[in-house]
Amino acid sequence: MKPVVIAGAGMIAFERRDDDSLVDMLAMASLRAMDDAGLGDHPVDAVIVGNMASGLFNHQVSVASALVDKLSLYPAAAERIENGPASGGSAIKHGYQAIASGMADVVLVAGGEKMREVIGPRATDVVAYMAQPEAEYVYGVSLPAMAGMFARLYMKKYGVTAKHLAQVAIKNQANGLLNPYAHIHMKITMEGILTHPDSVVSNPIVADPLRLYDCCPVSDGAAAVVMTTPEIAKTLSSKPPIEVAGIGQATDTHALHEREDPTDLKAVRIAAEKAFAMARCAPQDVHVAELHDAFTILEIAESEHVGFFEKGEGAKALANGVTSLDGHLPINPSGGLKARGHPVGATGVAQAVELVWQLRGEAGERQVRDAVNAFMVNFGGFGNNVVATVLRRES
Amino acid sequence: MITAYKCKACGQMMYPYHYRCIKCGAREFDKVAPSDSAKLLTYTIIEQLPWGFDERGRVLGVIEFTNKVRAMALIDVDADRDEVKLGMKLSVHWEPVRDDYGEKVYGIVCRPA
Repeated sequence: MKPVVIAGAGMIAFERRDDDSLVDMLAMASLRAMDDAGLGDHPVDAVIVGNMASGLFNHQVSVASALVDKLSLYPAAAERIENGPASGGSAIKHGYQAIASGMADVVLVAGGEKMREVIGPRATDVVAYMAQPEAEYVYGVSLPAMAGMFARLYMKKYGVTAKHLAQVAIKNQANGLLNPYAHIHMKITMEGILTHPDSVVSNPIVADPLRLYDCCPVSDGAAAVVMTTPEIAKTLSSKPPIEVAGIGQATDTHALHEREDPTDLKAVRIAAEKAFAMARCAPQDVHVAELHDAFTILEIAESEHVGFFEKGEGAKALANGVTSLDGHLPINPSGGLKARGHPVGATGVAQAVELVWQLRGEAGERQVRDAVNAFMVNFGGFGNNVVATVLRRES
Repeated sequence: MITAYKCKACGQMMYPYHYRCIKCGAREFDKVAPSDSAKLLTYTIIEQLPWGFDERGRVLGVIEFTNKVRAMALIDVDADRDEVKLGMKLSVHWEPVRDDYGEKVYGIVCRPA
């Protein structure tokens, strides 16, 4: 396989974007990535769009073809990749495969979702379509509900407390304050969301034991990267190309109840192992990570399953500041899904965009120092289809 | 009531149906009726329900029947949610769990035994 790099990265701010269509958002993010790569008039061989549910949210399908049209990139090949909340990570994987196989020289990968076109309960319902239809969906299960059932067991087994969960939210929203692209720009405190009696009003239960501030917001947004070979990247721009060093993907049972140990995120564990093996490095070599904190419990659980910490040690590392922006292993410097937002299909690509900026030293006030290896987890379904990726700056 | 499936090759219990065993990949199963009692493995109380539900405080859980079949279920505890405890014994019923445009959709409903 040929080596593959990300030559350009760009995104638009995640927020409620009533005035922009999904394809407009994808186009705006794509132009930023193309300009960042110095693509100029260089042909784009393929356009891959990560998106979960444009048909349901926006009454539009074939959005990759629509994006080619908006950007006048004809006759580029175009496909939409749907892998639930891991659509973005999967789209990057498909971009990798296209370059590595030699079938394409330059691929534009864009991820996007416009969720706020529908009202909140409808968005919750559409996201719940990823649950097992007759064994889960019929009961009115939501993704927060699945996370709530998981959290109850995980907290009991590993001594994770409501305070630990709140610490994830506080850390990530503090990081989000430093990220102009983040949906949530609000400082929160332990008193405000947990210890003050009024916190039952300011931070109500969504799916017990998870509260409002344990859940990511519902957002609109898009992000994009330009993927190519190292040789072509060098002819386009003087910016350091970022190597896609490893990608791993794994699946697990659709229904939560069929997992032998429901606290074991097997697909996260296996996807991470594969990504690290391909990148020929270990969790201990990672300098900065973006983990899929759609719910605060997931940042803690994933940090253990990918091998950063032993089981039961993730919450302690968090409490000790290890995963803070100035800690030994900063997790979610962007603010994560918690603060940046989670336009479902955009998230995996936005994670990669953040890590490209971190590895190049372009992350502004939230810059992590001297990062060479970066790692991301894009978590699909409730952990039944996970993509893990290692990005690396050439040293 | 639901039908569970027991792999003829390895004995793995499954619900819902899979064309191949989740453990060994074999394709032949015995149909198994779940027992009429179960215990609660985990649960949540949903305050923000998806479209289609006009209620708050719906309790959903994962249950294990005494014959080891596992499933998601609606836990009916009326107003007394403090009653819900991990490991609690449950009676199992087959009743409407949602209303789909006027049509009742049936599912597993559990009550404290």
